Amino acid sequence: MTVSQISVFAQSKPGHLARVLGVFEAAGANVRGFSVADTGEFGITRFILDRPDIASAALKDAGFACVETQVLCLKLDDEPGELARVMGILAETGVNVLYSYSMISTYIIIATDDIAATKGALEAQGFALVRQDDIARASAARLGSEG
Amino acid sequence: MPGSCCAGAADLTEKGAMLAAAQAGRFAELPIFDRAAECMPREQLRALQLEKLQRQVAYTYRNVPHYRAAMDELGVSPEDIRTLDDVRRLPFTDKTALRDTYPYGLFAVGLEDIIELHASSGTTGKPIVVGYTRDDMDVWSDCIARLVQMAGVVPGDIAQMAFGYGMFTGGFGLHYGLQKLGCAMIPAGSGNTERHISMIGDYGTTVLIATPSYAMHICEVGERMGFDWERSTLRVGLFGGEPCPPALKAEIESRMHIVCTDNYGLTEVMGPGVSGECLASRDQQHIAEDHFLWEVVDPETGEPVAEGEVGELVLTPLDKQGIPVLRYRTHDLTRVTCEPCACGRTHARMDKVRVRSDDMLIIRGTNVFPSQIEDVLAGIDEVTPHYHIIVETVGGMDALTVETEVRPDKMTDSFEQMDAMRRRIAEKLKGALLVGVNVRLVEPGGIERTMGKAKHIDDMRAR
Repeated sequence: MTVSQISVFAQSKPGHLARVLGVFEAAGANVRGFSVADTGEFGITRFILDRPDIASAALKDAGFACVETQVLCLKLDDEPGELARVMGILAETGVNVLYSYSMISTYIIIATDDIAATKGALEAQGFALVRQDDIARASAARLGSEG
Repeated sequence: MPGSCCAGAADLTEKGAMLAAAQAGRFAELPIFDRAAECMPREQLRALQLEKLQRQVAYTYRNVPHYRAAMDELGVSPEDIRTLDDVRRLPFTDKTALRDTYPYGLFAVGLEDIIELHASSGTTGKPIVVGYTRDDMDVWSDCIARLVQMAGVVPGDIAQMAFGYGMFTGGFGLHYGLQKLGCAMIPAGSGNTERHISMIGDYGTTVLIATPSYAMHICEVGERMGFDWERSTLRVGLFGGEPCPPALKAEIESRMHIVCTDNYGLTEVMGPGVSGECLASRDQQHIAEDHFLWEVVDPETGEPVAEGEVGELVLTPLDKQGIPVLRYRTHDLTRVTCEPCACGRTHARMDKVRVRSDDMLIIRGTNVFPSQIEDVLAGIDEVTPHYHIIVETVGGMDALTVETEVRPDKMTDSFEQMDAMRRRIAEKLKGALLVGVNVRLVEPGGIERTMGKAKHIDDMRAR
């Protein structure tokens, strides 16, 4: 029930992000969510894609330093206090959030220092976890409705 | 099979076969270009050097007013050279002498006897120009033929030139020497990396001549193109033009599946070919002692250092006719041993020059050499051997920044871990250099690859 995230070594200089995105485009992988932080001279740019396998292979072929990791993708109800509820549960569970970012409005990505505990705690509270193929399917459905 | 030199040795032209033979101690099987000269007993060699030195000093005194004046001023005449140690009575030559007499001031012959001119790009001011007579060219190509054979090149090899030709001595120097040995030259020149790789595949190239940094670039571009280095015909890399860090050489050897050696030389005394690496002693280079008299001196005082001690290499070419040069100060720090070498050559070996005294940086009063930074980075798994040094003035103080590339497979998802790695590298550098260093991690390929000499240092300090 985790999804693949591609983390790319990022240099803080113009054009880096555009080059990475160019590789995804050429490989036919669609970015569904991403996170960029202002960590200084270098950092880590994280991506969620519909085709992480081909995206990761294409980046490696192009010589980028990148790594594929597993994170949780959580669907929230679009109501005030919902995000606070998630973090409250994690606090009670005693896991530490390393980073978190929003994917598509109410779809958010969370990486913690204990993925299994996080997952268990959130599922126990009735949160829906998004699977990798859900992302691919949603992407395909959108393309289908447009085409 | 191209490259077979003689019956029984054909198998040595397989990839890696010569190095394997050397590592197994089977040196008798390895070819030596000029056994009489390269394996000459040392007493005989010393006698030959003295005879040549006496002749060369007399020739220089007679034909070059600059040296006649300098020797007269020191009160030394050609007849005073009775032993090899008497070389110390002669004046030193610094690069400035060639600049100040630009272009032809130190030539000992008229232009009608010169068959080729080369030049060295001066980093400051005027370039220097050197001229070669037909005999000079013979000696030069002879020196190159020796050192390429030391590296395992044999007649019949197909040698692809990735040095720029032009005025730089490296291109034509290696070209003529490889031809003299009996190789087919592909004069591709530097640049157009994809074409280089296609030619290696199409022409069955067995030998590549390049700066080590450009060879690394060719390697990486080939990998990206899907070129199979392991199955390619390429067998030997001949490097020059810049010092070759051991870690970079090891990386190129394992990724391109070739054996690489590098040679040493300076335009002012000849060009490449003054000394070359044999397969027995890979951190050193045999000096062509029948053509060059070496000294190792204290760079401050000019006095000789004890045998085997590190000092500045001083060279006196013994046969040069176009531009004879006495006691050329190389500004290169090394040490020399006359101990016998397992390869069978009797010529003295110098440690490879890692440190050009000109490359030394003074950071907040501490001497820092790029080779120290190379050595630290070579011991760290997470980064490539490529680096770039930036020196700036920040708040009136020298600030040293070292850029180094993260290896693609060492990427993690944790900024904390990546930054801890960066700080660990900075600590190691500080421990070795004794000055604080800011380390900047850059992406793979982020350090510029050059086709000529790698530019490792940007000194942007206000002067």
